[in-house]
Amino acid sequence: MLGSTIINHQQHVGLQKLSALAGLAHSFLGPNKKYKFIQDDTSGESVMVCSCFRILENLELTCSVGQLIYETVRAHQKVHHTGSGCLLFLAGVWSRVALEFLHRGIPVASIILAMSEGMDICMDVCRKSSVSIDNLDMEHSQSSTALSGLQLSKEPIKDTSQAPHQSKGTINVGHKSLKASAQRKIKLSRHFCEPKSENMSTEFQNPQPKLLDIAHIAECLSHGCVEAMNLVVECSRIQSKSSQQDSTCSKFNVSKVMTCVLPGLPEEEACTVQGCILLLSADQASVAHHLKDQLLKVVLIDGDLSGTYRHLGFKRLSGIQFMSEDTDLSSSSKEENWMEKVITTLMNLEVNLILISGLVGEKVIQRCSSHHILAVEKVKVSVLNAFADSTGAVPVTYVTQLSKSCVGAGVKLVIWRDLSSYKRKSSLAVNISTGRNIELVTVVVTSCIEGKLQALEDQFWTCAYRVHHALKDRALLPGAGVMEMLCAHHLQNQAERDPPQQTKAAAANPYRSVVLHHMAEGLIDYISTVMVNTGKFSKLQARTAVNQQLQDCNKNLGGAAFFSPLFSEAEKKDRLISSPVRSTNPPAVKVYDNLSVKQEAWRKALDLVFLVLQSDAEVITGIDQTEAVQKNLMLL
Amino acid sequence: MSRLVQKSPSLCTDLPLNNSDVCNKLRLLKELLKSCYGPTGRLKQVHNNIGGHVVTTSTSSVLLPALSSSQPLVNLIRSCILNHVSRFSDCGLFAAILCLTLIEEAKLSGLRRNVSIKVNKHLLGMCSSYLQEEDCGCRVVLDFCSSMNLITLTRSVIYSKPACVLAEVEALHMSKLAVQAFLLTVPCNSPGTVRLGRIVTVGVEGHPVLNSAVLTGLLVEVHDHLSLRMIKSMQTNPLRVVLFSASLAGDLSDLGDGIIEAHTGVDTDSQILDQLLEFCKHVVEDEVKLFVCQKVLHPVLQQYLRNHGVIVIDRVGVALMEPLTLLTGAQPVATLHTTIPAKAYGTVRSLSVKEFGSKTMLHLQPAAESAVCTMVVCHRNETMLSELKAVCQQAEHVLRLTLKEPSALLGGGCTETHLAAFIRNKSLNEVSQTLTAVECSQSEYLLGVEGFCRSLESVAAALQHDGGNSLTDLTHAHHWTLPADVTTENMEESLTFCGCGLTRNSPNMKWTHLNTKYPQFSPAPALRDSTVQPHVLDSFTAKLNALQVAVETANLVLDVRYVIQDTN
Repeated sequence: MLGSTIINHQQHVGLQKLSALAGLAHSFLGPNKKYKFIQDDTSGESVMVCSCFRILENLELTCSVGQLIYETVRAHQKVHHTGSGCLLFLAGVWSRVALEFLHRGIPVASIILAMSEGMDICMDVCRKSSVSIDNLDMEHSQSSTALSGLQLSKEPIKDTSQAPHQSKGTINVGHKSLKASAQRKIKLSRHFCEPKSENMSTEFQNPQPKLLDIAHIAECLSHGCVEAMNLVVECSRIQSKSSQQDSTCSKFNVSKVMTCVLPGLPEEEACTVQGCILLLSADQASVAHHLKDQLLKVVLIDGDLSGTYRHLGFKRLSGIQFMSEDTDLSSSSKEENWMEKVITTLMNLEVNLILISGLVGEKVIQRCSSHHILAVEKVKVSVLNAFADSTGAVPVTYVTQLSKSCVGAGVKLVIWRDLSSYKRKSSLAVNISTGRNIELVTVVVTSCIEGKLQALEDQFWTCAYRVHHALKDRALLPGAGVMEMLCAHHLQNQAERDPPQQTKAAAANPYRSVVLHHMAEGLIDYISTVMVNTGKFSKLQARTAVNQQLQDCNKNLGGAAFFSPLFSEAEKKDRLISSPVRSTNPPAVKVYDNLSVKQEAWRKALDLVFLVLQSDAEVITGIDQTEAVQKNLMLL
Repeated sequence: MSRLVQKSPSLCTDLPLNNSDVCNKLRLLKELLKSCYGPTGRLKQVHNNIGGHVVTTSTSSVLLPALSSSQPLVNLIRSCILNHVSRFSDCGLFAAILCLTLIEEAKLSGLRRNVSIKVNKHLLGMCSSYLQEEDCGCRVVLDFCSSMNLITLTRSVIYSKPACVLAEVEALHMSKLAVQAFLLTVPCNSPGTVRLGRIVTVGVEGHPVLNSAVLTGLLVEVHDHLSLRMIKSMQTNPLRVVLFSASLAGDLSDLGDGIIEAHTGVDTDSQILDQLLEFCKHVVEDEVKLFVCQKVLHPVLQQYLRNHGVIVIDRVGVALMEPLTLLTGAQPVATLHTTIPAKAYGTVRSLSVKEFGSKTMLHLQPAAESAVCTMVVCHRNETMLSELKAVCQQAEHVLRLTLKEPSALLGGGCTETHLAAFIRNKSLNEVSQTLTAVECSQSEYLLGVEGFCRSLESVAAALQHDGGNSLTDLTHAHHWTLPADVTTENMEESLTFCGCGLTRNSPNMKWTHLNTKYPQFSPAPALRDSTVQPHVLDSFTAKLNALQVAVETANLVLDVRYVIQDTN
């Protein structure tokens, strides 16, 4: 056992690694994502990935910075399911920025101080520019004068201190900058003057004041994944219907959504279904046919359904010896005994359906099938809980625990689709639901290309969580690069000024201005990369366009509003293709981003940079002499 | 089949400190630890070679266990420091750096080892007695009537770990919380021997630091949503609690190496379960409403208990057991062989559900006055959170030490420079008296003193990592830092406060770079102006002990003549 270290001096290897690895994120930014292949040279296997998280997951990075990146992205992905690309990209650009400062000899403490201040400025701008989703909804369905009167109280958190051009709702896709100020007048006057009543869609004619229109929010958040987002909207519609008995689209409970992946079908067949879609094997299929369209009794097993399964934390006896007089009681008959008991219990309770979170052996399934009991394995615990809530069943670990009070009733099984012609393991898809008010919705993701399924499923979850977070935050940020522009603008402005409150530390930091400028550069880099990814700009064009707009804005403060550089005039005609088409004459679809996700991603990116920036050595444990010599390490 | 392998002979290193390999390793260790020291210290990424979890830290208690070496001397120093850290939590890096520097200085001075050892020992005595003197210039007496100094002390501990990545506001918030939690562990009106309570730290990832909070009572994580549903319908009368430290998983885990013989037909599992059920029946009959188990509880038992209206929490872990006994007054049941005596049951006043981020927790409020509290520590990511948690626990320990010795030392390197100046002055003044005690010539003695003082000063200088210069003033001998980009001409303007913040720049103050020769003087204690409070304080007890550990360990290493390693 040896500890070993490398000490990086002027060349900060960690930051270099971070910015190099962040290069992975470039092509995943923005709505036009490109697939990447990861090939394993030794086994010849390859995977197709379309997100930062998946690429990191498949790369198996062993260096410490790589590990740190993966841990950060994984933690972010686990909670937010979106924004990992943004996180990694910004970590990359800001680490380059930090590297640049180190070369200039700026002390680490000053870098951290100023960058933290920059982050606070950005967070503040985000907070102030956020648009309440209630307002978003209103904007969309400006139906009556009375409603716009109500609006005043619901205004987003107002910006009082800073320049007024950051007011919400000024992102106007498809409008030239010249027109922008005129447009802004209309927006502000919305609350006071007569509302515009043209081009409003008929389906949202009678909104209840409190009910949200998720379809509209979803549309703003689709970011190019229109199909996936449509599935989310459909989920929401089903869930709203089941709880309110009307046809609005005002509820979305992501924890009651599950996905089912079906390879072999064309992508257009993806759909959402109320209830829980489960894939069955040929054995189970016959039982399913027998049970269809009846009211079933269900039990829920949390664990494996097998004679040898023991609950978590149970230690098997090792020091036990069995003595016996007769030798025919072998292990197979023990299993048989158990089986007999299980079947008797289930028959006594008149159970038709067992949902099991763990595994079930083939034999057990067959035995159950012969008694017309359908046993389904690998059901998610969240699904078990949903059934527990809606049927009154109590999840148990062992079949022996079952009693009348644990059995749920009123479950319906419907044959959803016969897959036997596809020659795969699963031959039948059934829909299990409790007819009344179950919120559970299954999204069936399909594709002819098996390698794409993962990406499609991820895409769905990304969209679902975007909507989920929008509802949780009850606010959104102007998207399509506008937020980054605003922040860049503010950073640049703040860089020119003195620190707002004369705190001792801030006043003593002579590098504040240069650091803030460079942070803004990072954000500009982000926007221009997204622009480049659309395939319509070169890097240079993109940067010029962004810088031009920032300068224009600086010249006439308060006048011009930011519009998304992504949709400049030249792109106007192309836009119709990429934007979701709801009616023949679509209103300009605004693009929004999630507030908390963006803030989190930025924060985490900067935290990652801070951790790497402050690190100067790697301590590798458990390394041997020869390895150390090869890698040129110092041994302790 | 057995095989005989010839044993290789043991490896003997004569005078290990003259061996360049050993010296390189010691120097590497010193550089490694030095670069971690202080609020602007650099972090280390500790990981194994096969892509395991990366720990980013600059805390000695996390870092040192990872730094094992093939060199016994390195391991000797490491274990001495770790021993200090386990007892005092704070000043581990200080001790390590001082120790390694003392060894290096002793080598550089060319003195005979035994002379170095004697001089070091003598000077250590001088330092210790000075630090405990009434008019010591670098000690601050803590006033428990105000929380200000306590917060400063805590803040210094928390701020010294940059891996927490805390803004100033956040550091202050955490310091206040740590002090608040500490005060909650001091029982108010218990007669007789006062026993301090416990702080249980719960980490919540992904939340802003400012969401951290201190709660009275205990938070216990609950894994299943069945219990939670029951709690919501619970009345708030005091509840009877039983606490199990024995496993109720239904296995025979405490069997050891023994062997049980049984008939084949016997189902051991169900027999054990039957016994456990009997046990649970008694508990239900005794009207227990909250059943807490340190280990796993068999699902059948859980179901049984729930059906009888008992709330079940299992797998709470050994760390929570002591706080739980303190809070509830229950005695943990460790055996299943006797019935539970009535006095083993405890009570809680109320139960409620608290949500922190993704964690759903049960909040247990004590029925009687209890000095148990929970500190919920939030941070944005795992790395920072684990460092912050460690630091909070460290702060708690430091605060406890103040109860034994209500003093603190000036931080920011000021104690070190002050001590160095004091020793230089005193040993020069008393040189003739000490020579007989130390048994060496005057020049040897002064050489030893110089090495010792330089070592102290270099620890202060180690606080600086961005190429800045360390200075000391010639009045109070406090520590000042000069940023790298400030020229000597406008030096005076950029020096506003010393390291600990007690002395400020005044017109006739003179400075000298550390580790340059300066005329000896007796460092004056900083003027005790009640309006000026030190900004940085270190734990007195921890630092004093760290000083002793450092010098004694250095002396021990200097004393090693042979290293004999068994290479088999």
